[in-house]
Amino acid sequence: MSSRILPDFDLLLPKSLAEAVELLATHGQRITVMAGGTDVLVAMKFTQSPEYVMSLDGIPGLGYVVFDAAKGLRIGAKATIADLLAQPEVKQHYPALWHAAEIFATGQVRNTATVLGNLLRASPAGDCSCAIYAIGGKLILQRTDGRREVDIDDFWLSYGVTAREPDELAIELVLPPPAIGARSAFKRMTRTNDDLSKLNVAVQLEMLGNTCVEARFAMGCVAPTPLRLRNTEALLKGREITAELLARLVESVPSEISPIDDKRSTAEYRRQVSGVLLKRAIEEACSAA
Amino acid sequence: MKDAAITLHINGEEHKLNVAVNRTLLEVLRDQLGMTETKYGCGTGECGACTVLVDDRAINSCLALAATMDGKRITTAAGFAHFGELNHIQQAFNDEAAIQCGYCTPGMIVKTASLLAKNPDPTEHEIRHALEGNICRCTGYEKIVKAVQKAARTAPGRTVKADAACQEVAQ
Amino acid sequence: MNAETIVGTSAQRVDVKDKATGQALYAADIQLPGMLYGKVVRCWEHAHARVVRLDLSQAAKSPGVVKVLGPADVTRNKYNSSVMDLMVSAQLHDMLGDIDDQDIFTTHVKYQGDAICGIIAKSEEAAERAAAKVIVEYEPLPVYLTAEASKQPDAVQFTPQKPGNRAFQLPEAMFPGNALGGGDVDAAMQDADIVVEDVFYVPKQKQCQMEPHAYIAKLDNAGRLTCWTSSQMPKLVQAKLAKLFELPMSRVKINATVIGGGFGARLGMISEPQACAMAMAVPGHPVKLQTLREEDWAISPSRHPGKYWMKIGLRKDGTPLACDARFENYKGAYYLDASGTAFTAGAWLGGMYKFPALRYKGESYFTNQGLTGAFRGYGNPQTNFALEQLIDRACAQVGADPVEWRKKWHKGVGDDGWCPGVTYPSCALDECLDRGAAAIDWAAKRRKYANQTGTKRRGVGCAVMNHTSGAMPMLLEHTVCTVKINEDATAEVVFACSDMGQGSHTALKQIAAETLGFPFGDVQLANPGSDAGFDIGAHASRTIYVGGAAVKAACEDAKRQLFARASEALQVPADQLDIRDKKIFAKSDPARSIDVESITRAGVYHFIDPMTGKPEGAPGQIQGYVSFFAPHNSPPFGASFAEVEVDTETGEVRVLELVNAHDIGRAINPAAVEGQLEGGIQQGLGFVLSEETYYDSQGRMLNNSFTDYKMFGPSDMPKIKTILVENADPVGPFGAKSVGESGLVSPVGAVANAIYHALGIQFMEAPITPEKVLKGINEKGLGGARERARAC
Repeated sequence: MSSRILPDFDLLLPKSLAEAVELLATHGQRITVMAGGTDVLVAMKFTQSPEYVMSLDGIPGLGYVVFDAAKGLRIGAKATIADLLAQPEVKQHYPALWHAAEIFATGQVRNTATVLGNLLRASPAGDCSCAIYAIGGKLILQRTDGRREVDIDDFWLSYGVTAREPDELAIELVLPPPAIGARSAFKRMTRTNDDLSKLNVAVQLEMLGNTCVEARFAMGCVAPTPLRLRNTEALLKGREITAELLARLVESVPSEISPIDDKRSTAEYRRQVSGVLLKRAIEEACSAA
Repeated sequence: MKDAAITLHINGEEHKLNVAVNRTLLEVLRDQLGMTETKYGCGTGECGACTVLVDDRAINSCLALAATMDGKRITTAAGFAHFGELNHIQQAFNDEAAIQCGYCTPGMIVKTASLLAKNPDPTEHEIRHALEGNICRCTGYEKIVKAVQKAARTAPGRTVKADAACQEVAQ
Repeated sequence: MNAETIVGTSAQRVDVKDKATGQALYAADIQLPGMLYGKVVRCWEHAHARVVRLDLSQAAKSPGVVKVLGPADVTRNKYNSSVMDLMVSAQLHDMLGDIDDQDIFTTHVKYQGDAICGIIAKSEEAAERAAAKVIVEYEPLPVYLTAEASKQPDAVQFTPQKPGNRAFQLPEAMFPGNALGGGDVDAAMQDADIVVEDVFYVPKQKQCQMEPHAYIAKLDNAGRLTCWTSSQMPKLVQAKLAKLFELPMSRVKINATVIGGGFGARLGMISEPQACAMAMAVPGHPVKLQTLREEDWAISPSRHPGKYWMKIGLRKDGTPLACDARFENYKGAYYLDASGTAFTAGAWLGGMYKFPALRYKGESYFTNQGLTGAFRGYGNPQTNFALEQLIDRACAQVGADPVEWRKKWHKGVGDDGWCPGVTYPSCALDECLDRGAAAIDWAAKRRKYANQTGTKRRGVGCAVMNHTSGAMPMLLEHTVCTVKINEDATAEVVFACSDMGQGSHTALKQIAAETLGFPFGDVQLANPGSDAGFDIGAHASRTIYVGGAAVKAACEDAKRQLFARASEALQVPADQLDIRDKKIFAKSDPARSIDVESITRAGVYHFIDPMTGKPEGAPGQIQGYVSFFAPHNSPPFGASFAEVEVDTETGEVRVLELVNAHDIGRAINPAAVEGQLEGGIQQGLGFVLSEETYYDSQGRMLNNSFTDYKMFGPSDMPKIKTILVENADPVGPFGAKSVGESGLVSPVGAVANAIYHALGIQFMEAPITPEKVLKGINEKGLGGARERARAC
């Protein structure tokens, strides 16, 4: 049961990155970090009652989305989904992410929610999380004594839990520069268009002619965190994409996932359509070239 | 901190306020300032009844802490009308019979303003996509979509349309 | 051609400026001096439990708390938050077995969200914080989520008044064999060449009106209780609260606030008893009670879910012979209007087709689900889902075109409507079917989609419906209306029936202006709540048909008085007078005329001419009045056509187009009528495809929010076409029949039948989700059943 009123908390409004990580060093787990707030505030209306809420609002310079052909895409901690959509390079070079962002929640939420917040929420259903997982990338975590990078492959530990330590602030996401022959696509299933996904999938392919040199598949809503479909990827890597091979991929997916029954769908259904959705994403990625 | 001294520029007027940090922008508008045109519909950012513009971006005011809004420019549905004279969006909602119970209407109108500011000539698909965050249970959205189309057609200074809604917001 | 100039136009809504600017005041928007804030503490842990300990001491000490109220601190009188009991005679009331089984604060929790106690505090936040300090210990009881579970002999009894937890069945005294209908069903079924039958499940759909329930209540120093509420029925709520708190009605006042959508969710009372009980504990202070969305979800009644068994028999030439049906609904925790939907679901069934033999049994069982009650359509979408699918299955078996079969066998003028003995005065369903079929290109698409093989398959389906305009003769249909003519020849119409957002007050104002012969802008219409005369309230799609007839009659009464005075002044018999633009004139000689204002002014400012010593004109302010009882229920009819595309690999259904062609008699305000039909489509699509409130095994709601309960949004909606078939009804005001509820009904059957056409498979459980569709395809295959569906 939620409340119309937020619980009592102390608001921290650091004016710099240094101040923010200093606060994290002092209070650690007692702080809930808030960027857009679209997840944090809802959770606080229901169950969470943090002692401190630290808003990133006053920290300058974290709202960037910058593309560089050599270095890739850098997304700052305060960049919203809408900020991402405002960058034409995202659509051009990271179509899976762009599409995931375009249908992400609602316009109001896209204007507020941040890309990094979606990753930090560590929900298995996050649309941008799914796309980013397929594309690959690393998070930059900062604390008082320095920075470290965590590969997206190592970031989600379990439902709602990430590799971020309580004294660290996630300040940036870096996506790799687009490889030659790279294609990506994102697909999802929902009950209605504004719904959270009941199943989502993103694929990132590197193609040489009709042969797939490299493949990363990410699927959401089928495990406690977004999931890489590594066995299925292996079936495709180094091979030519044919109808027969796609049929084998469709067969392979259900053995890699462990979906559950929940409010949005059933385990049985997710298993049945998971392969189909992957196949369609691959087809879309290939046809978009 | 538990309280924050902030300044909000709401519908062109400056408000210096002291707000408890756990107050949402919606609560401050409604309960502290008596601006009840912005509605509580769900409290969880799903229905859009509480949509306001913050520096020209449409957001759910139920999911924003007022304490983090210091210095921001905020526009509510009441900010579009001047002493009973409706603006072109409100007039279009009237003309197209797009208002029934009216509870979603202020949020719809604000959202429409933000859409038309960015995209003065939206397709029907773009309108429907843009309104996904505003639930209406009365109209089936049919007449609302028509109203947005009409608002786009009747925007003042249609030729310099990109800035039309922004200027209104600023007024 | 109609002679009217105001009726039949899409006049501007009276409330539009307030709503467009956000100035319209809904209950939660109202601020009063000295206001306190109430919070109802509810049981969220259990759906069935006894309260074994309630400790309010910590809550009472919480900062800002003014008072805490437990069950012992409020009246122990029981109540029934529905109003069905006030709409029937005492005799019928006893026969139906209506009971009062609700408490303001309970010690026996029967559903998740039942009210335990109340907090009154100086702020909403203080009330909220104190609520968290209330200590309640529960003894859990077994949870019954279905009729099958709660009717077991060893089940805990919800109330001693209803043994076996059967809240209602059609009473033997009125319905022999506890069944509605007539003819020998068993014999007729024996004669049938084709019998189709199935068991359907219909979902617990939620109204999801955008404004959550909110109230203000105040006991003033003169001992008068005032409640600001968005109830659809201010007068009946006044009567209910007076009875509950044992106050004379003169000391209970209802202020009708602007309503943010109803759809049945505001029929009768919801939390008015709790709000008023709190106000009575703090005389002199208004108490505001606002609900959370999830709380609104829990405490306001939903549509009745349940099992619907149905069997129909036909001759092989398609002649319908018999229909046998039984709807066992899961009533939820309290009685409310248990007799209502259990009856009406069968009434709509009986009113649709010419089955010579019909037997319908309706029963309501208590369960630990949330409450059920009124929801737009009131049993009709449930019946539509079952009946219309069986009709299409039968059509496939006898090789009949579903549209042609329906045209041939639907009931029409002179046949019994939903109430036996009350016949249809008008029916334009054939025209609805013809125009709807043309709009969707029925014949061509039925053929075109007959032999599809691809992944995505399309289908078109149709369904029809009948409804009602008011609830005469089953329920009281009484409306009082007064119209006061001001001295400047303007009019004020007073009437206690709420506008829930559908625009009824605009249409009623059109009727008033048209009848009086006054310009639209010179008429005001007000709903002062309980200060007005009696009115049953806004339900059963009655506001225009009954309320409009009452407004018309009151205005005619005023006009009659005006004409009598004009007749005197002009020396022309009243029946030879007419009125236009506020001028009364002789029909034969329009130059012989008198301004209405000269009559009305002389009536109010009635002076003696100082020169002659004689009075100027006739004395007295003119007021029209009627205490109106509806003579009929002129049912509207409708036909819906849907085109869908089904993804056979994922089971996803996309509705491409929906046509709603409705026989509404006459559109008083066409834009508002279209709005009703368009909005109805959104709710009908939800019923059949996406909407259902569901529970875990312990009766806790899993999707009581817009996050988890999904309605069709703007980009989910199909292309829509509404067709208004205007065939004036001989009874309704200006020929109007109802439109409020009917728009959502037949889209239900039309979509289900379109899916049947696309796949050759029918789905017996609503909503038809992709999960169910895919399961159906996997189990039944796309081949076998196709031929039957393609028979035509």
